[in-house]
Amino acid sequence: MSRVALEKVEKSFGGLRAVAGVTFELGDGELVGLIGPNGSGKTTLLSLVSGHESPDGGRVLLDGHEIQGLSPTRIARAGLMRMFQLTKVFRRMSALDNLLTTGRALGLSRPAAAARAKSILEELGLAPVAELDAGHLSGGQQKLLEFGCCFMVPPRIALLDEPFAAVHPTLKETMAGYIRKRHAEGHTFLVVSHDMPVVAELCIRAVCMNAGSVIADGPTRAVLSDPKVIEAYLGGEGEA
Amino acid sequence: MRRPGALRALTPWLPLAFLALVAPLPLVVTDPYWLGILILSMYFALISSGWNLLAGYTGQFSLAPATFAMLGAYATGLLCEYAKTPPWIGMIAAVATSAIIGVILALVVMRLSGAYLALTTLSFAEIARLVIANSYNFTRGDLGLGVPGIFESRVTWYYVVLGALAAVVVGLMLLLRSPMGLYLQAIRDDEVAAASRGVDVVYWKTVSFTLSSAIAGLAGGLYAHFSQLISPELGLLTQTGLVICMVVIGGIGTLLGPLVGAFLVYVLSELLREVGGVQLIVFALVVIVIARFFREGLAGLARRAGLGKLA
Repeated sequence: MSRVALEKVEKSFGGLRAVAGVTFELGDGELVGLIGPNGSGKTTLLSLVSGHESPDGGRVLLDGHEIQGLSPTRIARAGLMRMFQLTKVFRRMSALDNLLTTGRALGLSRPAAAARAKSILEELGLAPVAELDAGHLSGGQQKLLEFGCCFMVPPRIALLDEPFAAVHPTLKETMAGYIRKRHAEGHTFLVVSHDMPVVAELCIRAVCMNAGSVIADGPTRAVLSDPKVIEAYLGGEGEA
Repeated sequence: MRRPGALRALTPWLPLAFLALVAPLPLVVTDPYWLGILILSMYFALISSGWNLLAGYTGQFSLAPATFAMLGAYATGLLCEYAKTPPWIGMIAAVATSAIIGVILALVVMRLSGAYLALTTLSFAEIARLVIANSYNFTRGDLGLGVPGIFESRVTWYYVVLGALAAVVVGLMLLLRSPMGLYLQAIRDDEVAAASRGVDVVYWKTVSFTLSSAIAGLAGGLYAHFSQLISPELGLLTQTGLVICMVVIGGIGTLLGPLVGAFLVYVLSELLREVGGVQLIVFALVVIVIARFFREGLAGLARRAGLGKLA
């Protein structure tokens, strides 16, 4: 059964049709890359799933239940976590408190949240900065921290919007390794990225959007070599 | 940023240490007038602590803290006047009335933020004040309403209000160490991120607004029985401005800040009273300097000196 399903989902902003009747499924334990040029509707699609936007038409299902119109809080509590393109951390709270807040809000007991936070901080190499305010961390560390918050209550679904953008290669590898590890444990991922080598190496399946529609969906290598995908990225036939 | 140091272990206790420091003041300050000033400083410290919970820890900028104190004062004043209830029932009614009106207002305004929230609460504040001022037959309007006193001795009053302030500070300390404290601070830092991580933003904002209103109601109830005369002037915007000055100068988002700010600003305000309205100019300038150069106020300066986060 699919964990997340979109059925003919529509979303417009004024005259702009950001998502144009997208139908798409994310299966249990899948690790899917969502690619496409800027303005193709990837982030809007994530927002429609995470509850930050309501669709104008169509249905969004999480584990078979309709979730369109539900608040992001309820969707998060139902097991779907989101990482944003522009990093969102609680800047005046310590890195540890960022994780603890997420854990407690998602129903963990104090000892369980503390143990989980400690483990995530160590695995992501953030233990030395655990007591620092998140606003004082480097951009890459803030990304890692937000990333870590998605895993306070496993196994879950994570929507990651540009997790590797503007991140040092070492941190990028830390993140990719963590995704692989959680994926092996049964975690489900939808990863938006422009970093094609990482998408090719990490994701088994890829979905490409252009102008609000899905133009390719299948094994990552096949999607990346699809002429329609190449044209969408480069804006001309056979230029790749 | 958290800094290492042995002094950090002491930081959670700084607000209580400050209250312990001011506790013996009646031994030194024997003039009833100045004892009254210190009691009123604690009245403002109560309102400031409540407003700081909302603005400093939850990031919601209400312009109605003095209004909720006024509502608390009138709740007990009117009950004593018309129902002849004992003052302690009036005090409970003061807290309950402000909390109930607070929760009703919160249900309306807590989906707003920033300038919209400020303007909505400002409108509410002015409406509430004008209703009380114009309900002359019921409230006696600007002539003021007489309220029965409780204690004769100002020293007794001093310790009663200090006890209430200590109870509120301890309550806030416990609250901020609970998951609720984490949720409120998360909402302050980023509402979208908080909601995405399972925090029920509107619910916790409503709880914070209600608690803040209840604390102001407690302050207003105490003030009513202490001063024995209340008027709609309690809810003037200048009173709210004074509360904001106290919190900003003392240190917004710290427990110590509103306490230090309230004593400092109110006592200085009295010292400057002889030179007319200049005190407001002085406080406005201090707020500008602090907002520009020391955004965490006096408590922030202590924090930079190594005294940590909960100062």
